Amino acid sequence: MMTTETMTTTVALTSSVETRSATFRHTLASEWLKLTTLRSTYVTLGLGVTLSIAMTALVCLAVGSTQDELPADLAPATFSLVGNLFALTISAVFGVMAVAGEYSSGMIRLTLTATPRRSRVFWAKLAVLSPIMLVFGLITTLGMFLVGQAVLGAYGLPVTDLGDPDARRTVLGIGALMPVFPLIGLALGFLLRSTAGAITSVLALLWLPVFLVEFFPMWWRTNIFSLFPGAGADSLTLSHVDDSPMYSDPAIGALIVVAWLAAFISAAYVSFSRRDA
Amino acid sequence: MIEVNDVTKRYGETVAVDHLSFAVQPGIVTGFLGPNGAGKTTTMRMILGLDRPTSGSVTVSGRSYQDLPAPMHEVGALLEAKAMQGGRTARQHLRWIARAGGLPADRVDEVLEAVGLSEVANRKAGGFSLGMSQRLGIATALLGDPRILIFDEPVNGLDPEGIRWIRSLLQRLAAEGRTVLLSSHLMSEMEETADHILVIGRGRLIADTSIAEFMQRSSGSHVRVISPQGAELVPLLEQAGATVTVSDGALMVTGIEGPRIAAVANEHRIEIHELSPRRASLEEAFMELTRDSSDYQGGAVGTAASTHAA
Repeated sequence: MMTTETMTTTVALTSSVETRSATFRHTLASEWLKLTTLRSTYVTLGLGVTLSIAMTALVCLAVGSTQDELPADLAPATFSLVGNLFALTISAVFGVMAVAGEYSSGMIRLTLTATPRRSRVFWAKLAVLSPIMLVFGLITTLGMFLVGQAVLGAYGLPVTDLGDPDARRTVLGIGALMPVFPLIGLALGFLLRSTAGAITSVLALLWLPVFLVEFFPMWWRTNIFSLFPGAGADSLTLSHVDDSPMYSDPAIGALIVVAWLAAFISAAYVSFSRRDA
Repeated sequence: MIEVNDVTKRYGETVAVDHLSFAVQPGIVTGFLGPNGAGKTTTMRMILGLDRPTSGSVTVSGRSYQDLPAPMHEVGALLEAKAMQGGRTARQHLRWIARAGGLPADRVDEVLEAVGLSEVANRKAGGFSLGMSQRLGIATALLGDPRILIFDEPVNGLDPEGIRWIRSLLQRLAAEGRTVLLSSHLMSEMEETADHILVIGRGRLIADTSIAEFMQRSSGSHVRVISPQGAELVPLLEQAGATVTVSDGALMVTGIEGPRIAAVANEHRIEIHELSPRRASLEEAFMELTRDSSDYQGGAVGTAASTHAA
């Protein structure tokens, strides 16, 4: 198919293009192109949105058909975000794959040959992942909220809308904080370079505190478990409507989230800049 | 020009490259040879800034690779052809690389054409044979129209026609005045492609010489003579200054050339059935040179096997 043709071809090896310096803008465009040309990007994110909303719809249907009122301690906005466990898990894995996928295939060496300045590659990956995860987060949380309210409303259960500042803070807050775990996943991808290792680590950081907290006494819940990034994020988005020993003052919550991100991102940056590719 | 200055690379206790210095000149194909594990790939990775030397420095056109303003215009490289995410088509694969280097998208179709992959441009690269992947890797290297080209074992997986194609491509690139560095563990590969060779073993430079010089330096060259009067001929040749060994009825003559042997035989009316100069092949010369530095040595046979192993 290509043999004889190739032997006789006399295509110019020299291009007519003049030499231009490569800039950070090019790196950004390249990283964007990488993500948008992989089908797995669409499959993963599409699955995240669908599963989250489907989970919310199912749980709301179950509650609506069996109960006359919502559990007393839950606001309808918070309740409709029950499917967020899918969005969180899938987005964290997506963050890992944005880097670990290049290490497992060896393609990272091609990336770094095209863009040898590692800081450019590093910040471009963060800069492309963050807005994608932000949009993904807002679409999922808004979708879950609207579907959830519609189902609860259909059963005559109490509902709310985004005109309510409490509901708005919860729904938009959780959506806007969606990039947190993907960014930690991305950093772990740089640090561990292994898909399995980085996914395990980020999911452990995300879910282990949630599962383990029940087995620990109150002092641990307020002083240790409150310091995990998930608890920090929840302090920002849920502490005004819900009560938990793991919640801090929202300002402290913000600080906890920022501190985790800063620690992971700076460790990943140092590792990526110094280690052999 | 690529300059490697007293470079050492250690991975823990292992010394992969050991005080290596050489320069790769433009306008010729330079072969980079050594047994598997000799440090060729490590050296190439250091040239591209992927690995950092433990000591010493590597420069490309006078700068370290990371500091080149337009690296893809300066250097094109093929390291591992299969190291890519197979979910993208050949065209999509080249597009993100072109974008990263600030190159226009049209250039992608130019290089696809140049390597003969135009027809499969929209097929997923993950389904490519090794030969097609090698071509895609070469297309990647050509994207930036670079002055320097680095190919790590580019003929691996190519059929004979592909090998011929790559040889003529390399020579054409060098004739255009580009710097071409080509690694291989097969000496025979270099015989027809390279003008100059760098031989390394256990991370050290063993030879930095032209192909012609390299052949002369090797000791295996001799003239093979078959004669029914061999026993009479031997003392006569020795008188003429030759060293003769007899093996299997044939005389292996070193020290004097074919015409002189013929003249001696003719003078004494000695019949000759065969008179053939035998040059040591590059392969033999290479093995002789790297015998002491092969990592996976297992006796004479083992050495030969290791230089042929893929």
